[in-house]
Amino acid sequence: MASDIPTLAINDLTVAYREKPVLWDIDLEVMPGALMGIIGPNGAGKSTLIKAILGLVKPASGEVRIFGKPYREQRQLVGYVPQRSSVDWDFPTSALDVVMMGMYGKLGWVRRPGKAERERALECLDQVGMTAFAERQISQLSGGQQQRVFLARALAQDAQLYLMDEPFVGVDATTEQAILGLLRRLQGQGKTVLVVHHDLETVSSAFDQVAILNVQLIASGTTAETLTPENLRKAYGARMLTRLELPTG
Amino acid sequence: MDAGLTIILLCSLVAASGALLGTFLVLRRMAMLSDAISHSIVFGIAAGFLMFRSLDTLPMLIAASATGLLTVLLTETVLRTRLVKEDAAIGIVFPALFSLGVILITRYAADIHIDVDAALVGEVIWAPFDTIFIGAFEVSRALVTMAVITLINLAFVGLFYKELKLATFDAALAASLGLMPALIHYALMGLLSVTAVSAFDAVGAILFVGFVIVPPAAAYLLTERLWTMIAVGIGIGVIGSLSGYFVALALDASISGCMVMMLGALFLLALLFSPSRGLLAAYLRRRRQKWEFAAQLLTMHLLTHEGHPDEAVEACTSSLPGHLNWGAAFTEKIIHRAQSRGWIDRVGEQLRLTDSGRVQARSLRKA
Repeated sequence: MASDIPTLAINDLTVAYREKPVLWDIDLEVMPGALMGIIGPNGAGKSTLIKAILGLVKPASGEVRIFGKPYREQRQLVGYVPQRSSVDWDFPTSALDVVMMGMYGKLGWVRRPGKAERERALECLDQVGMTAFAERQISQLSGGQQQRVFLARALAQDAQLYLMDEPFVGVDATTEQAILGLLRRLQGQGKTVLVVHHDLETVSSAFDQVAILNVQLIASGTTAETLTPENLRKAYGARMLTRLELPTG
Repeated sequence: MDAGLTIILLCSLVAASGALLGTFLVLRRMAMLSDAISHSIVFGIAAGFLMFRSLDTLPMLIAASATGLLTVLLTETVLRTRLVKEDAAIGIVFPALFSLGVILITRYAADIHIDVDAALVGEVIWAPFDTIFIGAFEVSRALVTMAVITLINLAFVGLFYKELKLATFDAALAASLGLMPALIHYALMGLLSVTAVSAFDAVGAILFVGFVIVPPAAAYLLTERLWTMIAVGIGIGVIGSLSGYFVALALDASISGCMVMMLGALFLLALLFSPSRGLLAAYLRRRRQKWEFAAQLLTMHLLTHEGHPDEAVEACTSSLPGHLNWGAAFTEKIIHRAQSRGWIDRVGEQLRLTDSGRVQARSLRKA
């Protein structure tokens, strides 16, 4: 990929549910190799932003481009980790099978995953330390293990841009470390990663860049320059901030 | 072909084709949509008859699938107002279409063979006598139709297994990968409608739901993989049909009614005795945990008093029920359990921790 084309370019994006704007005139460019946290209060439209990038919600105006082209032409380049709670984990299937779902897009219609896909899925499980659980029914995994299966599934998508919706919610310390390590590895491979994040205290240690969102884009850029009390006050309101330990770095 | 065999085969095919689709309905928590569709098609059958002036298979199938999709679309439209919840939306749409169908039949089509009783529970008993010739073979028309429908459902699930699986488990990912979960959803609903109208004469609108939902619901309790859930669901459906037929002969009662009753009985068996998720397994697991916990508590108790002057009293079997507030029989059971785990030795009335019992108690104390 030519490095002067942004991985992700969002221009004047507005998303509305029944005339109520959820995202209002968002402009955001993310360059290859960025590891960016998306933060903002509840209802700020963080998940909606990810869904709009993936074409899962229709924008009222504006456009999203992935390496210069619309999403539907670039599906293969984008990996998605939805919120863990968005699926029913009692579904009768194994961890390995869930990981293989990440390759369904490349397989296309009707073609079934085979031996090659199975081996690739096992590699992805290995990268998140879940090899031992490959054949386990997914309902028997802990929350953190389920999250790691989701990450392995995104790895199986073998994408250039990864969109992750709250991967740190409700996970144990082992999983948190595993996710952080994985994010760094992906960045090291030149991939671009966008992570919806809710924990302000860990933002600066986990992400180089940050986008602060509250319906509008409040600010975006390097974590050091963007994560200022001023910007956070704009996003979260003054009252909220008195309770927050503001990161100073 | 023998009438009894025809009926058994026909209903087994209804069960198999139903379970193929029903598995996905159960997993998507849309079981009641099958109820809605199987009722709404009464409207489809009546409207189809008035339009085409025939009860031939093909126009019926077209009318039925159109009505099935209409049911789903109307339900979604009502839902989209956000003024009505999903279950209520289903409950508003299908009785409306069903009653419209009943009105059309009684007002304009009173002379055709559809009557309202048959619309509810079916008349499988007639199926063997309406026959067609395939080459030199005379076979039941309904059996041929149902066999074709089963093959279509099998081909649909076989071809689009991966798409169905992902659309059911994670529709958002399916959509982001371009695998069109909405299209899959409507195809599923269309096929369900076609299956319902094909099974209509045999089992009727209400009992069809039993064939679609009960076998997969039972299979869900017995399996841990999607394809085994489908296979076991089909198996349960066939067993229910077979056994229900003979129960109906013995009781001289409604055949489809007895079949669905047997399916219900099989579900009950799965609910009680499923090795992994059944109620009995859960009860035994809880009881085992309770005993295990009590045995651990006993080792803690012994460790606490070990080497103290009161040890002789505290470690005495006869004093334990009072001190730990346990019944005498329960105390005896727990002592046995701790002994068999190698945690304690028993000398007369005195209990002593073994080395492994001491390790066990210390690890608990740390935790």
